[in-house]
Parts: sequence; C-alpha cells; structure tokens
Amino acid sequence: MMGKGRAQAMGSRRAELPSRVDIAIIGGGIMGLSTAYHLSRISSLKVAVLERSYLVSGASGRNGGGLRMQWGDEGNVALMMESIEMCRGLAQELGINLWFRQGGYLFLARTEAGESRLTRNAELHHRLGAPTRLLSGAEALEIVPQLDVSDVRLAAFNPEDGVVFPWPFVWGYAGQAVSRGVTVRTHTAVDRIEGLADGLRLHLSTGERLDADRVLNATGAWSIELNRSLGIELPNHPHRHEIMSSEPLKPFLDPLVVDLATGLYFSQSTRGEIVAGITMPDEGPPATEVDLASSRRFLAHLGRALTTIMPLTAQLRVLRQWSGPYDVSPDGDAIVGPSPGLPRLYQVCGFTGHGFMMAPAVGKLLARLLAKGERHPMLERWDPARFSRGGSTRREDMIIG
Amino acid sequence: MDADERLLLRPGPERPAVSVRWDRDRLVTARRGDTVSLALLDQGILETSRSAKYRRPRGPYCLQGDCGTCLVRIDGLPNRRACLTAVREGIRVEPQNRLISGPDPTVLIDTMMRSGMDHHHFMVRPRVVNQIMQGVARNLTGFGTLPDREPEHPARHEIHRPDVLVVGAGPAGRAAWSVLSAAGLDVLWLDRRDRGGLGTEAGPPPEALLPHTGVFGVYPQEQLWAAMSDVPEQAEVLRSIFPRQVLLATGARDPIIPLPNNDRPGVVAARGLLRQLERSGARLRADDVVVIGEGEHAASLAEDLGTEAVAPERVDRIEGNPVEALRLRDGRRSCRLVALAAPPAPAYELARQAGASVAWESGGFAVQRDDDGRCVREPWPVWVAGDMTGYLGERRAAMDGERVARALLRNHPPASPSSPSSRP
Amino acid sequence: MPRRSFVCRCEDVTLLELDHAIELGLSEVEELKRYTGLGTGPCQGKECMSVLVSHLVRRGLVDPTTVQPFTARPPTEPVTLGALAAGLPAEPES
Repeated sequence: MMGKGRAQAMGSRRAELPSRVDIAIIGGGIMGLSTAYHLSRISSLKVAVLERSYLVSGASGRNGGGLRMQWGDEGNVALMMESIEMCRGLAQELGINLWFRQGGYLFLARTEAGESRLTRNAELHHRLGAPTRLLSGAEALEIVPQLDVSDVRLAAFNPEDGVVFPWPFVWGYAGQAVSRGVTVRTHTAVDRIEGLADGLRLHLSTGERLDADRVLNATGAWSIELNRSLGIELPNHPHRHEIMSSEPLKPFLDPLVVDLATGLYFSQSTRGEIVAGITMPDEGPPATEVDLASSRRFLAHLGRALTTIMPLTAQLRVLRQWSGPYDVSPDGDAIVGPSPGLPRLYQVCGFTGHGFMMAPAVGKLLARLLAKGERHPMLERWDPARFSRGGSTRREDMIIG
Repeated sequence: MDADERLLLRPGPERPAVSVRWDRDRLVTARRGDTVSLALLDQGILETSRSAKYRRPRGPYCLQGDCGTCLVRIDGLPNRRACLTAVREGIRVEPQNRLISGPDPTVLIDTMMRSGMDHHHFMVRPRVVNQIMQGVARNLTGFGTLPDREPEHPARHEIHRPDVLVVGAGPAGRAAWSVLSAAGLDVLWLDRRDRGGLGTEAGPPPEALLPHTGVFGVYPQEQLWAAMSDVPEQAEVLRSIFPRQVLLATGARDPIIPLPNNDRPGVVAARGLLRQLERSGARLRADDVVVIGEGEHAASLAEDLGTEAVAPERVDRIEGNPVEALRLRDGRRSCRLVALAAPPAPAYELARQAGASVAWESGGFAVQRDDDGRCVREPWPVWVAGDMTGYLGERRAAMDGERVARALLRNHPPASPSSPSSRP
Repeated sequence: MPRRSFVCRCEDVTLLELDHAIELGLSEVEELKRYTGLGTGPCQGKECMSVLVSHLVRRGLVDPTTVQPFTARPPTEPVTLGALAAGLPAEPES
C-alpha cells in the first residue's frame, strides 16, 4: 500500500447485485451515496446504488465545492450549519482527504438591494448562531487585498464557510457504504421501472432486474426524464451552469468571494487554481434536457466580472472550462419525499445547484426518514406534493449561479 | 560560464547577443532567435521549477508548447511558456515554485513516500494531523504567483470572417496555405508560435502568418472558433473567428516515455530539441546527447541530432540532476541531455471539440476523416491534414496538406473574386 | 531521490500510482483521470494522454478499437481573463 492510510473499493461495474433489496438508490452522486452511507450506519436495510456511468461523472463531479451557512432562509441556514459541522470530522469518518478548508465566504454588495439583503441575512445568522460579520469595503480588503472595493457598499463574511474538493466526497461515501455492505454498481442504467404488488422492479441496461421495496430517485437534473417515464410530473428542470478553473497559483485567496451584483463567485482550490462561475444573463426558456456544452460567451462574462472586481487577474490564464447541470426547482426549495401517485418511489432532487453542500445533512435526514420514519422539519417544505397542493413558496434569496 | 561548458555549438554566422536576466541576478547571454528555453539550456540551466507533489526538480521537456513544465515567470507574468518565448534584450525570467528559504522538504517527502504517495489517503487521521498536512500541502502546490501589475493596455477584440481558417504552420499547414491562397481564397492562417519557427526552406512569406496566436476553443453552438494573439509587449487580442471552412494542421505531440527518472531536468523531446536547434542555427556535441526510442523514427532523429538511439528496454534509469548519464542494462552512457523519441501522438483536441471522431492508432488518437480529408460537415466543413491524422513525418505531412487543400477547393471552389482580406 | 517513472509530470502521477488506482477497480480513462489527477495540470493531458492509454491497452484493460480520450475541454491554448473580457459588447450588463 502506498503512503499511509488505506484505499478501499468504491464499487464497480462488476459489483454483484442481489435480486431484491429493501432500498434501491438510482444515481451514484453525492445525494444517493450520502443516503446509502447513512442507511448503512443506522439500519440493517439491504441497499443497492446504481450509477449509470462512473462515480463523479454527474453534477457531484462538476461543482465548485463551496459550503456556506450564509443563506437567506432560516431553514437553509440551520441545515448548512449542521452540514458544515458534519464536514469538520468527515475526512476522518470517511477515511479520505476531502481538503475541507474553512476560509470563509465573503459576499460583496455593490447595490442598495444587495446591501439590504446582506444586512437582513446577517441579523438572521446572528440569531441562529452563525458567526457572520458585516464589513465595510475597506475591511473586506483586509481579507482579500487584491479586490477593487471602490463601489462595494457592504460585505458579509462568515469565517466558518469553506470549500472542499468535491470528488473525494463521492469516493469516500461510496467506499464506506461498500465496506458496510451496500452494493454500489457503476456503468449500469435503469431503463424502465415496473410496478409490482409488493414493490418496484428495475430493468437495467445490463439486462439484469432488481426488485426493491422502495426506490430513491437521486439522479438530480436527470430525474425529470426518469419521473416522466413513470407519469410523475414535477416542475423541476435542468439548467446548464458553466464553471472554469485557472492555472494553479501559490495560495493568495482564503475565502470564496461572491459578487452579488453579477452573481460571480470564485475561490482558490488546494491545488492553487481559481475556480469561478457566474450567473448568466438572458438565459432563455427553461431547458428540457441536460446540456453540458461549454461556451465562449460564459468565459467573456466571467472574465469581465472577475477582472473588474480583481483587476490583477487580467493576465491570468484559464486552464479549463466545463459545465454541470443545476436541477432547478421553481421555488428554490428541494423536492424530497414520496412521489405523488407512486409512494414507493422517493425523490431527492431539485436542489437548484446547492445539493452538494447540503448532501452531508440531507443524506442523514433522508436515511432517518427511510429507515425510521423520522420527519426532519425541512421535509414538510420539501414535500414533492406541494406544487399540486399550491403550497409552494419562495423563501430563499441567496441562490447563486 | 566558459564557452566550452556551454551546451550549444554555433557553427553558422554569429547572431547578435541578447542578455537575459535569470532568477533576478544572473545575466545570461543568448543569441537573437533563441527561445528562453534554449538560452537557459545552453547555459546548463535546466531546472526551472519544482513539481506539485514530490517537489522534484523540473524543466522544459517538449520544447514545442505542449507539456506544461517549462512554465516560468516572464517580465512579472506567471506561467509563461519559456519554449515559445523568444529572448529579447533585458527580458526577466524567473523560476517558479522553488523554495525561497528554509529547509527543503523534498528529502522528507521522498523518505516518507518512497514507494509513492496516495494523496487521497495520506495523513487523514487524526484530524489535527490532517489539518496540518492540508496547510502544508496548500503551500507546496501552485506554480506562479499573481502578476506584478495590471496590463498596461487593455486587451482588444477582433472579429474575422475568412473563407478558410488554417490552423498550424508546420509542413501540412504551410502547404495548405500555399494552395488555398493561390486559388484566391481569403485565408486566415494562425500559429501559436512566432515566425522564427517557420523554417527556412521556400514556402509562404512569413508575413502571411498571424503568429503568437493560439486557437483555444471551438464552440459549435456559437459557430465560433476562438483564438488569442499574445505578442510580447503588445496588448492581447481576442479573436472571434466565424469561418466558412476550416483546415486544421495542428500536428502531433511528443509523449513522455515512462522510465525511471524520466522527469529529470535535461530529459527533453527529441523532435522539439531538434526544432529549437534548427531555429537557432545551433547543434550539440555527439557526446552530450543520447536518444531513447525505437525504430526508424528514433533512428532518424538520432541521426539528425548526430548521436545514437537506445531502445527503452535497454534503459535501467536516468541518472543525475540535471541529467548526467543513462544507466543501461549493459553499461553506462554519460550525457547532458536525454532526448525521448516516442511515436508522436496526434494533436486531436481542436478537431474533437469541433465534433470530429478519433481512434486509437499506434500510440495516439488519430483524427478520422473521409477520403478527401474532411472530418466535420456542420456548422462548417472542417478538413484535417498532416500528423494530426496519424504521424506522417515532415515530407508526407506536406504532401497531405497540399492534397487536402486541393480537395477543399474541388468541393468548394471559390465563388467570386476574393473578398476583402482578413489577413494581418 | 527515489527512482520514479512518471506518466504525468504536471500532477506527479507515477506508473505505480496509476497501477494502484487500477487495482481499486478503476479502468475507464475519465475515472482514472479524476482519481489520479493525471491530465488535470497545466498541459491538460497533451503530454500524458497517449501514455495512459498505451498502458491501459498493454495491460488489456481497454479495447483499443473503442477507447476514447477524456473530453478535450477548452481552452486548448492559453487565454487570459482580460482577453476574454474583451469579447463582451461594450455596454454594461444590466
């Protein structure tokens, strides 16, 4: 074995599937694997995870790896405080380096509207015990000296927010789940789902069949396709979000910086790359299919915003660009729980680009629901039936990207 | 350094001297036309950075803009390719990711991780150790530091709508340009290199080429080919190119050969080395260089370099830092440079972004094309020629470039007298 | 300095490390890239891609008639943020 520590099998295309399981999880991204891991810790349920490609091939392998408590809604702040608390010891728990670094999130407001959002949110954070501080532009400069703060009206900084390297999260959950008896099968798609008297039957791309008492749809932006094939109509839709990283530089940037006026966010990874994305203007009608193309238009918008807020980056070079699918829910809240009309099929989707950071906490609360029927307070508002009931409310104003 | 310690022999007419400032306080005398890489190599300066994980010394390898380990700080800007930058009077060149002060952790890293480092499972527990490790790791990675200053002139944007975009000024690209421009087409011809790499044989006039211009992306949804011109000491130019057709001649890259210590400064690609020597009118002493590689490809490069080729199977390891010798299974061969001659691998990336398919063929992914040389039809026809379709070598690549350009003309004859030129 | 045989010099990936990842059950080009870091450095796989695939072909882990390289993401040549910014129309974003 190389170095110290121990690597373990993370599932493979050759993993043997049982003929029946208690819970089949479709999608080997962070949501499905975090849930599988927590199920293996708190129950003896038989669990299998099906990933149609390789691990980290979807949105879990394509995001910027930010984790923050600085949300605008009480429920999300509390959830993320729990998620970040879990992340502190998660590398040791999962036995893999996650490169979780709490350099904080620094939000910059350059408009009056942004200023009032930050002020209101800081009061909320304070009440909930999150250590967010409001700063002047000059004080923000002490945290990131290279910023141009000339039109920054207000900044908010939470030192406990941070960044991770997303891939090992997925491998870590998978490795631990496998070592606790979960089957993780890669390169295997679910072609069709058939209702049985006592469960659901999954017809797989390999020609195999897998029967399950309950099935969890953890396929994120790809969930729409699967749901539609079952006649389940939910209002989430895929949205292409582009991102880039720069050539690696020696460390100079501690926090993840968000410019509220442009929707620009950027941080520096452990490897030294600046990882950055931005809200694109005029995106047109909602997409119906996942599109992972890259655009020059994105690079232009990002280049403009980043060189404006940090002019020294003008002669830095882009190393690569890629895109990942946001799974956008119309009210910004996730869609989690039994499906309307098909209660054996659970949904865990609609996280609107922020599922990765929530997954540690969501996997745990979802495992408790599935194994013990425990209902976390967030499950009420995440109920997939809320849209048909007319109970959908937009609560969150801090969705970035 | 005494003249006889220098690596290069310069038999031709003397070129004007240019002084280069290396690592803040060392003045190096180069000759006009040299690249920064060749100027440093001449002086035996082979280590230009330390590597990300093991902190091993690294220097230029491919010498033609592909590999990423000749990156240095040039005139206050990080991560610039020394192998593509021509020397100019007073140019400031600095190494990157070297230690400023304090003990060198290289020995410690090597002792702890003799068999290798699994960075995913290294020092995970306990948490306090993990935190310290992460802090150290963060400081050891990364190459350059932020630029010294903002650009003096903001970048410009230019839009081009040529009949044909030709990418690459190697043998295939040169031949294709000659055919297309003779037919009266409006051709935009680009290469990431400067004109000094064009070669001296008869061919297109150097001013026909837009040099220092790398095509960085193909965006079919935007119907756009995007390039940046980075001429030294001038404002950068972003180029949005909406071509009617494209002819790619992006050549082939020189892969490393996985041998013990194949990362030592002084291990270079034979083809890249040869091109650099040709451009500077220089050569090496036969004793100083040895080629590793198989077959006719390695033998001919060895002959051009005036030395012998050794098959990879005969090599036990490379010795010295920088290179001092090749330890062979049946002996030892002293040298100062080791030139690798693996089969070149087609540069397929742009073609693949445009929608071409590639297939694994004798050591690389070759771009697939129809009999005429076309690999993509929509939203623009894309033609491919030369080594990117499978390594051909210079003579056959030139013939292929001419053949494909003629096929392009047959399929899309110029409609009318030439439209306004978008040439520089 | 210990002897090491490198497949990817940008990210310091040795033959031994590549084989270690293969032992864990990984065999696809895209997943080996992500697990070892190979091809994710400044050269973006220009130097190491064919070395990786040659190794996989030699070990019989991929079918040479169907194997594909990992996605060739832009930029394939350096481009600066400042030059990219110049590509936007002059009027400010609303």
